[in-house]
Amino acid sequence: MTLRLDVIWKEWLQFALGLGNTVWLCAVSMLLSLLLGVLFVVPLMSRRRYVRAVARTAVDSGRCIPFLLLTYLVYYALPSLGLSLDKWTAALITLVIYNTAYMAEILRAAWVHLPPGQTEAGRAFGYTGIRLFRRIILPQVLIAVGPVVGNQLIQLIKDSAFLSIITLPELTYAANSVQSFYFVPFESFLVATLLYWGLCGAVEYLVQRGERLAAMVRRGHGH
Amino acid sequence: MATDPVPAVELRGLVKQFGGHEVLVSIDLAVMPGETVCIVGPSGSGKSTLLRCINWLERPDRGSVFLHGVRVGYRRSDGGNVLMSDPELAMLRTRVGMVFQHFNLWPHMTALGNVIESPIHVLGRPRGEAVAEGERLLEKVGLADKRDVYPAFLSGGQMQRVAIARALAMRPEVLLFDEATSALDPELVGEVLAVMKDLAREGRTMIVVTHEMKFAREAASRVVFLDNGRIVEIAPAEVFFEKPASERARQFLERYR
Amino acid sequence: MLKWSTMLDLLRGAGMTVTVSCLAIAAGVPLGLLLALARTRRARGLRWLSAVYSSFVRAAPVVTFTMLIFFGLPALGVSLDPLPAAVIALTLNTAAFNAEIWRAAIMDFPRGQLEAALAMGMTGSVAFRRIVFPQIWRASLPALVNEMTLLIKASPAVAIIGVVDLTRKARQIAATTYEPLPPFVAAAVVYGLALALLVAGARTLERSLRRRYGTL
Repeated sequence: MTLRLDVIWKEWLQFALGLGNTVWLCAVSMLLSLLLGVLFVVPLMSRRRYVRAVARTAVDSGRCIPFLLLTYLVYYALPSLGLSLDKWTAALITLVIYNTAYMAEILRAAWVHLPPGQTEAGRAFGYTGIRLFRRIILPQVLIAVGPVVGNQLIQLIKDSAFLSIITLPELTYAANSVQSFYFVPFESFLVATLLYWGLCGAVEYLVQRGERLAAMVRRGHGH
Repeated sequence: MATDPVPAVELRGLVKQFGGHEVLVSIDLAVMPGETVCIVGPSGSGKSTLLRCINWLERPDRGSVFLHGVRVGYRRSDGGNVLMSDPELAMLRTRVGMVFQHFNLWPHMTALGNVIESPIHVLGRPRGEAVAEGERLLEKVGLADKRDVYPAFLSGGQMQRVAIARALAMRPEVLLFDEATSALDPELVGEVLAVMKDLAREGRTMIVVTHEMKFAREAASRVVFLDNGRIVEIAPAEVFFEKPASERARQFLERYR
Repeated sequence: MLKWSTMLDLLRGAGMTVTVSCLAIAAGVPLGLLLALARTRRARGLRWLSAVYSSFVRAAPVVTFTMLIFFGLPALGVSLDPLPAAVIALTLNTAAFNAEIWRAAIMDFPRGQLEAALAMGMTGSVAFRRIVFPQIWRASLPALVNEMTLLIKASPAVAIIGVVDLTRKARQIAATTYEPLPPFVAAAVVYGLALALLVAGARTLERSLRRRYGTL
């Protein structure tokens, strides 16, 4: 049995475009959901029980739904409520909603596990409320969550493959196109999987570099 | 000669290295049945390593270990280099009981469960017999009422006494104690030493690595002083503590006056 | 809202999701343990193979991997029906993650207890069976259950090779009734309930274990 990798090589552009779409979709979604996650983590940590409960339910529900189902809900069901979306917008919105729930929880866990030293020092210097959050707590949390965010990004990249089902031209869709046209399913999906493997490796590498940077920063603060 | 008694444990020319550093340098020792030998010395002198070589938890780099004349770790006693198989070594280890510094009880079993585990699953004793003996041993160490308690709910001293009962349940020929009281809070040390003193009085063969000089003085028949991987002095207990022969031993004992 | 017949239809899809997930979990948890044990063997080839497998499969999206298994294996001579292919794909995927979970527990295991077992005359395999495994499965329970929830959430991937699971069933109903909202919301509720039940069940088990043994 011969591997027809020549076909794959011939269609390298499709794979590259698919990979590119996967990368920018996930990167943009991660950034947006990080921002939204920061907004959501505040009610999650609120001292008011009612606020906390509502936020908690929203986050837990967000983490309970399969990504494909959420995609269907956004792409097929929202039009019946009057909001019709093209698949790119639907994809982005789904990725952001889905990931924000996870980011909120990740940020919350990191906040809870912060060593109290720096926050106490901040309070001692008169920082309160939003300023305390923005200038003291948030930077610490962001530095602490590096590796976990990296893992979540990998999860996001993998979930993005579901978008091929609504014919969004990301990497898995590209692989499926090529294989159905040339009848090279094994080679096509193998190459796609290898590309995902490489992408995950790249993310892990970035996380490691980030960790080293964070360690230097931490040392500077006298930990 | 035919009438010479066979040592319970014999070490000949034992050498052990860790990463280029020689922890044991040519150890020769013979422990006779019924003796209580205490091994003392400064930290890092290799006491624990020596003990762990006896049941091959550490494999010596050179030299031989003998248990009642049987060579440990290798198939024949004549010095050949065919390693024992895992099951053979395991069976040989059942003849040596060991009590660890950090107790090493199995937390998912009760006190009695810990004691009867190996007799049933390694020695193949029937459950009824193992339970009866286990209960007797727990009573002997003063913990009959803790038979159904899990280790997480026992104090350090209680855990160590269960560990002693566990070792005794195997009916070993030799008992090894690796700093058995070093990890205990001071007020719990006494109850464990009391059990150990009883065992010594019963005439069991015991090799005890310890920092408790008072215990060594009272319970040991001989004391081995180890320093930097070498046996510097071996003497009967009274001699060692009253009139140590070597300068190093004298310096060491100064700390405990 | 939803007609009764539609609800039943939806439940049929739910049944397929449950079947596929349960089979994959039942096979994937022990397979993960075997893979983790392979990493502890002295044979370097076996260790390397297990590590590469684990890294590769964990990086693969379930959708892509499922298509690789279903469409790709026939090219190597193995022809599969959609359902077995789906179960195999999910099993291989979850086994890779479980392998990491088991491996962490095995490496974290207190050496002292193992030494005591060896000193008592147990061989390595007896010690694993009687001492190590009973403790690591309890310690790994939260992580293993978490992976099970991730598997259930990834299970809609099987729809792409023709297995009509809950998500695909909801999509079918939406396409035929032109009322997309009810079936999707109903499906979401069913998934939510299933996951909530799984997590609650696991939490209860953990609590009773903690009460019995103290903290292992």
